[in-house]
Amino acid sequence: MDECKVIIMGFGSVGQGVANALSMKKDLIKDKTGVAVKVVAAADSSSSAISQDGLDEELLVKTKNENGKLSAYPEFGSDVSGADVLDAVEYDCLIEATPTNIVDAEPALSLTLKAFEQGKDVVTSNKGHLALKFKEVVGAAEEAGVEFKYEASVGGSMPIINFTKDTLASCEIKSIKGILNGTTNYILSRMTSEGSEYEVILQESQELGIAETDPTQDVEGIDAACKTVILANSLLGIDATYSDVKVEGISNINSQAIELAKKDDYLIKLIAEVSPDNLQVSPRLVKRGSSYDVSGTLNMATIQTDLADEVSVIGLGAGSLETASAMLTDLISILKNKY
Amino acid sequence: MRIDLVLELLDSPGQLVKALEPISIFGANLVTVVHKRDYKNEKGRVPVQLTLEGEHEDLKKVVDRFEELGFSIIELDGVVRKETVTTIFYGHIVDQDLRDTMDRINELDGVVIVAFDIKLNGEKESTALINIEVDVGKKQTVFARIAEIAEEKGLLVINEV
Repeated sequence: MDECKVIIMGFGSVGQGVANALSMKKDLIKDKTGVAVKVVAAADSSSSAISQDGLDEELLVKTKNENGKLSAYPEFGSDVSGADVLDAVEYDCLIEATPTNIVDAEPALSLTLKAFEQGKDVVTSNKGHLALKFKEVVGAAEEAGVEFKYEASVGGSMPIINFTKDTLASCEIKSIKGILNGTTNYILSRMTSEGSEYEVILQESQELGIAETDPTQDVEGIDAACKTVILANSLLGIDATYSDVKVEGISNINSQAIELAKKDDYLIKLIAEVSPDNLQVSPRLVKRGSSYDVSGTLNMATIQTDLADEVSVIGLGAGSLETASAMLTDLISILKNKY
Repeated sequence: MRIDLVLELLDSPGQLVKALEPISIFGANLVTVVHKRDYKNEKGRVPVQLTLEGEHEDLKKVVDRFEELGFSIIELDGVVRKETVTTIFYGHIVDQDLRDTMDRINELDGVVIVAFDIKLNGEKESTALINIEVDVGKKQTVFARIAEIAEEKGLLVINEV
């Protein structure tokens, strides 16, 4: 096979990032794997663009930004949406980039299971279905004999899932502790450097687009807790779900706490801990200058292993192209394995 | 062989003599003793530096005897044997019986609060940073007790990673 037809489901920041990254890297991917990647469909929440002969990635992004809807794509725009897109065109791999839903995991769950039933590989950036039904989803992929990759669901561009599984394959993973949410790290970093109060920095972060209009998922630790569940299941073999994680966010952290911590050479960070006896997201004290001392929107994780002792990774935890980089890496690894 | 150690003594008469007894009993030699009674650490105890010489077996007996007698060995061959736990409480710390909070941490064996720094905020929640000195290997006991107190009193805890 020298062609891989992909569908991009979800055309927000991540979906558009994938389109942009594909347009930049198509030639490189062909050189590396001998496979030409062709986008045969892209869909937003209510419409799509579909063409068996392939769509232009840059035109997809332009159409979405100028018209707000992919149905405005010249000639191939369509009102087909949701799971129906998967029936409307022949494809090999679903690139699933719909927003995370921590209540019922939809639409990611249905889309993913449907792709598996159709015998297709899936690359996802979504956390909802993994945090709520990890076993079920991964089990369905195994049963269908297809590839299911989710590096982008944790830490954006920071390598952690594939890195731990492949590069640290000789090691047993004892625990993982890290900063898995960029927004809260940005807020805490600025509170530390400026001595300002939480509410002030949160508002500024919203104006800068770093925090969302409804920041609950980030500041209450929900996003980091989802990632905790994904790491627990995928890397430590812990059969856990979202409700097993003890979660405490950062909305109670004030400048006094940060000031007191500073006096003893500590920083306050929102830390996710993944170990067999503790699944927890909470504000913690970390030593200044330690591997946890990363600021801004950076993510980091320290992996405690039996043979290699501690290994730490750092990277940008969010962003359109950054997250897309993880998804393309997953796609390339599928191409290398299967094609 | 030779070992260096630092013991902690209570500041009361007869402590140093009591501490030196096991050395001769088990046939070890005292090479150096540095005892400055006017210097006290944050717990109000007097650290004593000792250098002992003798057979490995005998020195081990001396060290074990020190521990039986309840002298804390805070340093052995340059390695500190106490650990410090730092934690932050946030909430109605004073109203929720601060004294009880401190007593319940201090009552743990080998655990002492050595510093307590509180920022008050009128009638609102206050924030406190606590340094606790803990015998090696007892950190988890302290964390468990802190969690228990925090749960009961509705305090937010920020522990070390």
